[in-house]
Amino acid sequence: MLDIQNLNVVYGTGRLRVDAVKNVSFHVESGAAYGLVGESGSGKSTVLRAICGLAPITGGRVRVDGQEVTTPRGKAFYRTVQMVFQDPYASLHPRHTVDRTLSEPLAIHGEKDAEARILQALREVGLGPSFRFRYPHQLSGGQRQRIAIARALILRPKVLLLDEPTSALDASVQAEILNLLDDLRRRLGLTYILVSHDLAVVAHLCERLLVMQHGEAVEETTADALRSGVASNPYTQALIQASRGFTRADKPSVQALAG
Amino acid sequence: MTKPLLDVEDLRVRFHLRTGTVEAVRGVSFQLGRERLGIVGESGSGKSQTGRAILGLTPPPGEVTAKRLAFDGIDLTTASKRTLRELRGGRISMVMQDPKYSLNPVMTIGEQIIEAYQAHAKASRSEARDKALAMLEAVKMRDPGRVFSLYPHEVSGGMGQRAMIAMMLVTDPDLLIADEPTSALDVTVSMEVLRILDELVTERGMGLIFISHDLKLVSSFCDRVLVMYAGRVVEELEAKNLREAQHPYTQGLMRCLPTLANDVRPLPTLNRDPSWAL
Amino acid sequence: MAGSPLAEQPSSLRAWLLSPEPNSRWQARLGRFYLGWRAFTRNPLAVVGLGIVVLLILMAIFADVIAPYSPVAGGDLRTERLLPPSETFWLGTDDQGRDIFSRIVHGSRITLLVIVLVALIATPIGLLVGTVSGYLGGWVDTVLMRTTDIFLAFPRLILALAFVAALGPGIENAIIAIAITSWPPYARIARAETLMVRNSDFIAAVRLQGASTPRIIMGHVVPLCVSSLIVRVTLDMAGIILTAAGLGFLGLGAQPPQPEWGAMVATGRNYLIDQWWVAAMPGIAIFVVSLGFNLLGDGLRDVLDPKAAK
Repeated sequence: MLDIQNLNVVYGTGRLRVDAVKNVSFHVESGAAYGLVGESGSGKSTVLRAICGLAPITGGRVRVDGQEVTTPRGKAFYRTVQMVFQDPYASLHPRHTVDRTLSEPLAIHGEKDAEARILQALREVGLGPSFRFRYPHQLSGGQRQRIAIARALILRPKVLLLDEPTSALDASVQAEILNLLDDLRRRLGLTYILVSHDLAVVAHLCERLLVMQHGEAVEETTADALRSGVASNPYTQALIQASRGFTRADKPSVQALAG
Repeated sequence: MTKPLLDVEDLRVRFHLRTGTVEAVRGVSFQLGRERLGIVGESGSGKSQTGRAILGLTPPPGEVTAKRLAFDGIDLTTASKRTLRELRGGRISMVMQDPKYSLNPVMTIGEQIIEAYQAHAKASRSEARDKALAMLEAVKMRDPGRVFSLYPHEVSGGMGQRAMIAMMLVTDPDLLIADEPTSALDVTVSMEVLRILDELVTERGMGLIFISHDLKLVSSFCDRVLVMYAGRVVEELEAKNLREAQHPYTQGLMRCLPTLANDVRPLPTLNRDPSWAL
Repeated sequence: MAGSPLAEQPSSLRAWLLSPEPNSRWQARLGRFYLGWRAFTRNPLAVVGLGIVVLLILMAIFADVIAPYSPVAGGDLRTERLLPPSETFWLGTDDQGRDIFSRIVHGSRITLLVIVLVALIATPIGLLVGTVSGYLGGWVDTVLMRTTDIFLAFPRLILALAFVAALGPGIENAIIAIAITSWPPYARIARAETLMVRNSDFIAAVRLQGASTPRIIMGHVVPLCVSSLIVRVTLDMAGIILTAAGLGFLGLGAQPPQPEWGAMVATGRNYLIDQWWVAAMPGIAIFVVSLGFNLLGDGLRDVLDPKAAK
């Protein structure tokens, strides 16, 4: 479904040159969920943004559904690939009602039957029709994220790019959104690319994942391997260790890497 | 039993707004010795307002009342402004969430630590400078001399937060309130910051109030945990006994987190019972 | 809150407006408007400002009914010239024996015309230039903003004077001149607001739906700039009225015998010591209307643009 070969993303030139992503390659089967894990500055979000055209592809190639993507992306691309952002407080237009937010993609692509599709989209993300004419400020964080997911799904894309979709939410709300995403993928046969700093979240949603550090791919592994604590790379080990919570015993490996 | 360092009874924080009065903290009571106490809750549970109220940092139009709010025998509700000012930053310090917003952007880190020290201790400039450098070393800065002369925007988030901790601990406080001190940091960096905090708190025998939304982190870091919901403490328990939590809210919070250890799906969600908020 | 979706009795109108679950686009919009109105009415000075502006509009509409005399036809120059305020001539008469009250009432039409036309010409230009420049960036931004800078470099009255001198005196040319000189600050504001939102996630989201650039600017960026622009335009109205009056005063705006307030002050200047009312009355009118717009603008700012307040 998605094939990325030697992707490079470079911002700026000369002294200001930043290599945000260096030679990253991975392949995602149709209907699979693939995770990108790393800390801030690892380039994991930049990979997502490069796929959907919000960041430049400096080198390498991105293939979606067998076709290499064009710059600028065409309308057909956006019907295939959609994105959900990290902060639901920033990703909804503050002056638009839910109705307007959801009808916009339909209007752009000249879809008919907006009324029914909006109600269906709301139903899919577990919200009733009573939410249709609310403004974002009348919604909680979890409800906003559900609207953002509904907006991404309303064009019936095949690939969903998820950029830290739960990290701005409370733990109990995170569980609801993770369940929803899990359920939607099965029901609609979606392909996910999930970016997160939280190993547990990635392992919960994805089968395979790529650990990134400083713009480079460190290790490709599987959720099962993570669960059993198997990792060949010391950085992945450190991440697994950190995700288990604070330990009093000294772990020099973590310290050495984190500095 | 020794006299508690901090004694809080029936603490309430109210905000009088145009639309009515909102009670953010509704009768919180606890005692703190020289130990690590965690306060856990989701957004809107009143955990941060509890920490702020102890320091007298409740933003207007908030109103704080308490049957008793005493620090080391000093009644904070009736203490003069002068006494409060001396305590704040002197014997009680606070570390905030994001170092970007809590460090002064136009002063070097060293200057800020010196200023914090001289505000509460009579010391010459060179003494204060030595103390600041020692403090930067204590928070494991690799090159304290260099960090001393850097501005906040020139250091990473983890270094900024460590500088913040250095600044807050330079006066040797008896009580440190840390409000989400690591949630703006990467996991591996935050582990390191926590380790430094842990060492300093243990070495100096401070009391620590650790406010966080992360139940897992708090239970692994603190001795005792207060779980807050809708402005109240719904459960208080020893951190090591967290698995035996009685309150359905605490249990729900524990279960709804995905873990690497076991794969549960769908994740159990939290059914909020209105009676919890009563 | 829950239940009775059709509760539209007057008693529950408030509840209907404030419903957290609006049932239609209109209810959502009206509810938002009502909240804004409630915030607005909390500021008594703003309500006074709104009252003055409404009064000006009513005065302009019903000028023929309100004014007791003709605003242009002169009276008997022997008996009705330069009379002080009295029961027959409420605000006195001018050097042509015309009733000053009637002239001020009719002059409100000219003032309102200036305000409406300037707002209709300058605001869209400023909005368009600002949002396009801010959203597209690059060389488009450079060209548009340097052009704006050139216009900004001249004081408004001087530039308006130059335009009127080139186009010839008259109220229409004065309006065009004022409009041409007032858009640059609006472009600046719109650009600043656009720069704030252009990299936000909700703009990225609509780009990822395949929206075209004009669609993003018109449908998503402009609505966020409009409120601060409305505030600025309202606050600017006082200055626009003064500029129009200033041009009139210099004889470059409305031409006699049109009852333009600035021109009326100019004629009254000759009799300032002995017949003070001739200049003072239109002067007071200019002052009150300017004040009204300023108060209204302050109130609107508190409602529409809470960040900028104080």
